[in-house]
Amino acid sequence: MSNENQRTYWKSLNELAQNEEFVKASEREFPKEASELKDGLSRRNFIQIMGASVALAGLASCRKPVQKILPLRQQPEHMVPGNPLYYATSMPFKDSVYGLIVETREGRPIKIEGNPEHPSTLGSTNVFQQAATLELYDRDRSRHILQGDQQASREEFEAFCAEQFADTDQRIAFISEDSSSPTYLRLKQAVLDRFPNAEWVNHEPFSDENRLLGNEKAFGQKLRTYHHFDQAKVILSLDEDFMQLSDNDVENVKRFSEARRVKSTEDDMNRLYSVESAFTLTGSNADHRLRVKAAQIPLFLNALAARLSESVDGLEAYRNHTNEFSQHAWISVLAEELLNNRGESIVAAGMDHDSDVHATVAAINLALGNAGTTIAYLELPHVEAGDQNQRFAEVTRRLGAGEFQSVVIMGTNPVFTAPSDLNFAEALDAVPVSINLSNHVGETARLCDWHVNKTHFLEAWGDGYSYNGVRSIIQPMIQPLFGALSEVEFLNMVLNGEYTTGYDLVRETWQSFAPQDFEDTWATVLHDGLQEGTSFPAVSVSLANGFTEEAGQVLGQSTPVDEEALELVMKVDSRVYDGRFANNGWLQELPDSITKITWDNVAQISAATARRIGIPDERDFGDLDAHKIRITAGDQTVEIPAWVIPGQADNSITVTYGYGREGFGRVADGVGTDIYPLRTTENLLFHSDVQVERTGEQYAIASTQDHSSMEGRALVREASIEEYRDHPTFAPDMVYIPGEVDEKSISRYTLFDPQDYPENEPQWGMSIDLNTCIGCHACTIACQAENNIPVIGKREVHREREMHWIRVDRYFSGPDEANPQVLHQPVPCMHCELAPCEQVCPVAATTHSDDGLNQMTYNRCIGTRYCANNCPYKVRRFNFFNYTKEYLTTGEDPEVVQMAMNPDVTIRFRGVMEKCTYCVQRIQRGKIETKRETDLKKPADGTVKTACQQACPANAIDFGDLTDTDSQISQIKRNERSYLMLGELNTRPRTSYVAKLRNPNPDMA
Amino acid sequence: MAQIFPKWANKVPKQIQLGLILGLTAIVFGFWYFGSPEYLEVGYAPEQPIPYSHQLHVGELGLDCRYCHASVEESAKASIPPTQTCMGCHEQIASDSPALEPLRESWETGEPVEWIRVHDIPDLAYFDHSAHVNVGVGCVSCHGRVDRMQVVMKTESMSMGWCLDCHNDPGPDLRPVEQVTNMDWQPPEDQHELAQMIISKRNIAPPTYCNACHR
Repeated sequence: MSNENQRTYWKSLNELAQNEEFVKASEREFPKEASELKDGLSRRNFIQIMGASVALAGLASCRKPVQKILPLRQQPEHMVPGNPLYYATSMPFKDSVYGLIVETREGRPIKIEGNPEHPSTLGSTNVFQQAATLELYDRDRSRHILQGDQQASREEFEAFCAEQFADTDQRIAFISEDSSSPTYLRLKQAVLDRFPNAEWVNHEPFSDENRLLGNEKAFGQKLRTYHHFDQAKVILSLDEDFMQLSDNDVENVKRFSEARRVKSTEDDMNRLYSVESAFTLTGSNADHRLRVKAAQIPLFLNALAARLSESVDGLEAYRNHTNEFSQHAWISVLAEELLNNRGESIVAAGMDHDSDVHATVAAINLALGNAGTTIAYLELPHVEAGDQNQRFAEVTRRLGAGEFQSVVIMGTNPVFTAPSDLNFAEALDAVPVSINLSNHVGETARLCDWHVNKTHFLEAWGDGYSYNGVRSIIQPMIQPLFGALSEVEFLNMVLNGEYTTGYDLVRETWQSFAPQDFEDTWATVLHDGLQEGTSFPAVSVSLANGFTEEAGQVLGQSTPVDEEALELVMKVDSRVYDGRFANNGWLQELPDSITKITWDNVAQISAATARRIGIPDERDFGDLDAHKIRITAGDQTVEIPAWVIPGQADNSITVTYGYGREGFGRVADGVGTDIYPLRTTENLLFHSDVQVERTGEQYAIASTQDHSSMEGRALVREASIEEYRDHPTFAPDMVYIPGEVDEKSISRYTLFDPQDYPENEPQWGMSIDLNTCIGCHACTIACQAENNIPVIGKREVHREREMHWIRVDRYFSGPDEANPQVLHQPVPCMHCELAPCEQVCPVAATTHSDDGLNQMTYNRCIGTRYCANNCPYKVRRFNFFNYTKEYLTTGEDPEVVQMAMNPDVTIRFRGVMEKCTYCVQRIQRGKIETKRETDLKKPADGTVKTACQQACPANAIDFGDLTDTDSQISQIKRNERSYLMLGELNTRPRTSYVAKLRNPNPDMA
Repeated sequence: MAQIFPKWANKVPKQIQLGLILGLTAIVFGFWYFGSPEYLEVGYAPEQPIPYSHQLHVGELGLDCRYCHASVEESAKASIPPTQTCMGCHEQIASDSPALEPLRESWETGEPVEWIRVHDIPDLAYFDHSAHVNVGVGCVSCHGRVDRMQVVMKTESMSMGWCLDCHNDPGPDLRPVEQVTNMDWQPPEDQHELAQMIISKRNIAPPTYCNACHR
């Protein structure tokens, strides 16, 4: 037995302390309140609703319901009713696009996958892309062009544009979101040519501007940093969340996880060091993590640069610099690691740090020889000179001074997101004519004279460049639901005063990309989603003249950080980003990867900080489990619930933007706290000294972190790569499973009749690689989109009734509870061969299928919930209410949301149990297609992919036929690290795990 | 003392017992018979917006099923033809027939013809046409002699038990794949051998577990 067993795993500080309340909460058979109907929908109310449903049902059953079949007038080419069609398109996000494949059913886009041919996704997706279909079918999207409060037609707006913009000498301010679209940029240039007095500025609240400016300082040119994480053996991340909230996250994860995949004891792994103030997803996957205040990170970096300058050229500015980190143990270890891996390492800093930090990072990477090997510096066609944030502040000041006759705001929402000291709303008021283009009638749209509703990217023509410059197409999957204008159509209307279709505008741009055989190229581009062979040119960089002097000056100004001052770090949120996804129920209900909080943003603090503020460092399991604090920065104050999280730097508070919307949409309104008031021009993302006090108020937080506790069992297993090489079978050896090693095992004798599996049926199995899984939750949302899983709201999640079929458990481990290690473990249904749930169902609603699935027959289920009670993995989900029906049939025009549903999956009713089906609809499709089109008896390996497997950017999930001994899944199951969760219960789960490995530096043990 | 109950009252308990038994039997039988899909479903023949006659088109003119139900071999849905398919002929033939007015209206306005669904299985069951016609289950097995129907009528109950009858023993309903749309095809003398040959050639093993149809 390895001494790994000694390691303890815990989900929360309460569990670690085993305090009374935690034990009480975890020992309950069903979570408190989960079994009861309480308030809101009271019992009386419920009976009324029931009565009405029964009455309706009674009336409805008197007559046979007449269903109609409505064929098309003319069937479009390739369209086969009942079969999906797949189109390549791209999702624009800030100034890049992600390549996607969209599944449409009878003209409705219902599911999004990555485009395997596109380097930006390589077939996978992140959570935002998965949730984009729900964004399309958002009922609260703006539906009309508005002139003031009055609806206007497109023709009226067209006439207005023709008149308003006839005077080409007028001073117009264009404020736009970032875009990489060549068509948009072409029109932008035309606009600037036509209106010589116009000013164009981009307002993207969380752009990569600091990194671009840092590269400008170091190399004399605003260049994009393109990391090849697969080439790097050593990675140092300074507050950089390249796995989740960076601009190229999907490709980064793909590349990173490939360098991390270990198939045998011969394989090597990369090593990730993380220095950060709060747990990012990247930090949670690091081999070594150091928690320091965000303000200390520049000092840490300078100390590292100083140490490196002793051995490499190019860092002369830092030579002999000393600060409080110079003697830190990490500095010498990191310097040695980086020097030993010159040309095979990456140093990266987060976008919240200023351009000086990024300049230092760029100089270090150049000095280490990483530039050109692990990092490419790309020249952007659409880059603007100067600091965009400063330019935006300047334009806002001039707006307020009445220097502009009109302002056009496209895509962006500055009234909500602009620094509060700019008073953007007041500045806007000073402009005679204001026009806004946006998806929602949001904060900015309400203050503008004209609002034009914007199309979603799934319903409009467009184009763009991926992060590394692959020219990609955006093609519509459906006619605009609410007759909106796309950004290129809108800009063209401002420019020419008349409407031209987006299709014509985009084609006009693309004609210049393939002047010879345009039609052929165009057809290929529409098919592939991208133009082959395009990318941004990589620049061979060298240190800019004067960098050494400038950096020396910056160094001279650096001052020690006051350890005791309370700093405030303001970040984008992992679910609603800057607020743009706030009206998306799937994302709101998705637990954060670290805090596991849904439907809220909180102030993350460490236990020591909590004690300092005077609030308990353990969670109260009552109704109101969080204490509110008041944060004052300058003259702005925000009240927000505090949340104690291990791994947070002491005296550092982390909050996320994007919440606390008002009048934005039914989902977003009133959820969480708006912290944009704390954002100022000087302090966009960071306050070094804030005042904090507790308000005395308590607040309910719906966090799933203590739901489904492990209670000390070895569910997650890990070892260092050295331990693995010494003892390859450490994972299965951790728990003795009778029957696995002993022929005469007791497990051959089971109380239950063993299942017969017919020879002609495949036997499905799944494996989840904990070593590559990063815990990003893409699987959870993919599953939700594929399987019509309802959104249930904060109150229901607080009662532990969450419906996700695949949850991601996050465990802390390690001796240091202030800075623990993290493990992420996705848990879907295990499809046990001897399933405990099947034995207790009184009506045989859950049984076993011939192909080894633990199947759930909704129509038989009577809702006793015995199965959920008896499931050791706690993966069964119960419909306490008619979540989906209410969602799909109430409110005005419910048809819009109905369109998002997958027609291959049954909508579940109140009182029915549900759980992961291994995407049985995909399995059946695969089987039928195999039978129809091949002579094979069983679907070939790779034919059937589950939704979670397809979405996973780390390729951590494998699925396939276990009877095929050559299949990918069979090979993985034979891996020596493969283990069964709770296999000792003799449940014989079909889903297994591959144990996690870490690659710690022996010098830091 | 006079008797409280007359003599005939002795029979009352027995009559009540008998009545209960008969009544319960009638109720059970009533539900069993009148509530069954065989009673409720078979014979359903709603009037369609256009009196399209399969007897004329299939029986007399000899159109193949797949001419109109074109996706039956590649999709779960057999599909009702788009207006264009009808207009392919009726632009020339019977182009001024009053019965075809809804069709011409659809062609001009783009609004669909609102056909009434005859074979409607519950939403929780997922039936796939392509899985059946590609292994040799004839159209006639489920839909009856459509070529003799003026108005399409449901001829089978399409209940779960009816599905399972064939899934448990597919042999009697199998025919060579090229004969699936043939309404007149008669099983040969050696149907059993033929079925065995098709079963082994096409790897037919109809699933009977829940998830095969319910997902």
